[in-house]
Amino acid sequence: MRSAVATRYAARQSLCRAGIGLRLPHLAEVAGGAPSFSWLEVHPENFLANPHAHELLLEVAQHTMLSLHTVGLSVGSAEGVDRAHLARIRSLVDEIDPFLVSGHLAWSTHRGDFLNDLLPLPYDDETLRIVAAHVREVQDALGRPYVIENPASYVGFGASTMTEVEFLGELAERTGCQLLCDVSNVFLSAANMRFDAYGYIDRFPIDAVAELHLGGFTREFESESADSEVLIDTHAGPIAEPVWDLYAHALRRFGPRPTLIEWDNDLPTLARLTAEAAHADDVAAIALQGTRPHAVAG
Amino acid sequence: MPLLADLQQRVARAVVTGDGELVATTLLGGADPRQRLRIHQRHYETSLTNALRERYPATVWLAGVDLVTAAASAYVRERPPRTPCIAEYGGDFAQFLAGYGRAAALPYLRSFAELEHAVADVSIATDVPPLTWPEVANIDPERLLDLHLTLQPGLRYLHSAWGVDELMTMYLADSAPATFVLPEADTLVEIRGARGTVCMTRLDARTFAFRAALHSGRSIGAAAEIALERDETFDAGSALVQLTQAGLATRLFNASGGAIS
Repeated sequence: MRSAVATRYAARQSLCRAGIGLRLPHLAEVAGGAPSFSWLEVHPENFLANPHAHELLLEVAQHTMLSLHTVGLSVGSAEGVDRAHLARIRSLVDEIDPFLVSGHLAWSTHRGDFLNDLLPLPYDDETLRIVAAHVREVQDALGRPYVIENPASYVGFGASTMTEVEFLGELAERTGCQLLCDVSNVFLSAANMRFDAYGYIDRFPIDAVAELHLGGFTREFESESADSEVLIDTHAGPIAEPVWDLYAHALRRFGPRPTLIEWDNDLPTLARLTAEAAHADDVAAIALQGTRPHAVAG
Repeated sequence: MPLLADLQQRVARAVVTGDGELVATTLLGGADPRQRLRIHQRHYETSLTNALRERYPATVWLAGVDLVTAAASAYVRERPPRTPCIAEYGGDFAQFLAGYGRAAALPYLRSFAELEHAVADVSIATDVPPLTWPEVANIDPERLLDLHLTLQPGLRYLHSAWGVDELMTMYLADSAPATFVLPEADTLVEIRGARGTVCMTRLDARTFAFRAALHSGRSIGAAAEIALERDETFDAGSALVQLTQAGLATRLFNASGGAIS
């Protein structure tokens, strides 16, 4: 039997390689044991209402490190977190003991209706107070830090009084939560909302970064004008070349972090997903060669 | 009302109804922020409409993609999900569809869609270790009548005025003929499934009444009375033997929910 130190070392090594999002069409294949993955991330909402999938997930958890990425906790809802859903998440966390539990800086529920989208928030003191209270509630229920992801943005609010990075930094400071930097979201939000993606990464609260995400997006045009392009976070294709460049920049600043390939629509084969994860590993190896993470800017 | 709550009320309404004017003045982004808000509106409607279509592929096959899509779009506007687990969404879509537009002229559609919903539900269920007959037989018969039975999670009971199970069997086997006359006949179906497998069995009236009543939470005695109303020759003892021998019963409990050991 391996020692606890060796097990922890092996786990750390696994997390240095990119993982993939496990979706239901691939579940039986993965539960069957082949091929092996460094780690996998799942949306708990896909398993809580599907007993057979839940059973297979428990099998996967026996041999693969898992991260849980919630899409329904809605910490940004003014009316509060869905406590019944939080209890179900807690139960799954207890069963599979994921190495991370993450969710979004967004809201999805209103008066009990679930709007099945990650809706934007104004960044001001009131929102910060509300989101911080909900993040604390989630962390208290889960007994571990919650990891909050920056959103993919198409609209903002005139009422915002701080930038997204300032908001995330203050949220991490107040709650002790960790942060998930979705590099693709940074890229597409910067394009859609006209800000500098590299500057965003440079100001991102480095000490709180627990995970990185990469996903494909889709280009659309809002009118016939060439400058009306909008990037949609569809997770329906490979990672775009400029996002790989931004990812390399993020790694040079943050240092190695568990990185996930997200692909939800037009789902390819596991082999294709594994190849995309391997490419992330190659990009990371080059980006991190002979570098050390930058010091946190004052 | 706090500002955020008020804002979210307006955004939620805009997302569900598609009316961006409700929040237009508060938004930034692109040449026209209302266009950007439509990305969220479109995602809400498309993702849920697709989820319903994927949940009811046989109904789409039977009624046509245009009709089911139009009904699904109306459904997601009128009845947003109440849970983040989208697999649990659309439980009453069959009923909604049956009353929608020209679907109202297809009297068998509701039963067929309800059967499909049941088939999908049981196919993702997992079996629980069943009760054995001695575990039931060892209980005093008088006491037994007041007890309740939990049945396997992958069991559903459907009563239809149409032979929709025949049509579903053809769909699942990909063997539907070009034309088919759907029999109009009282049809009592037990749908059983687990881990990707599904089996539909027609039951006689008394067995169906007994098992469906147990499934709905009636006590064994009450379920037996319902079955006796259907058929005075009903024998509760035999029915219990058959139920347990088929591995369909998993737990005995009293009216307050306490397990019987």
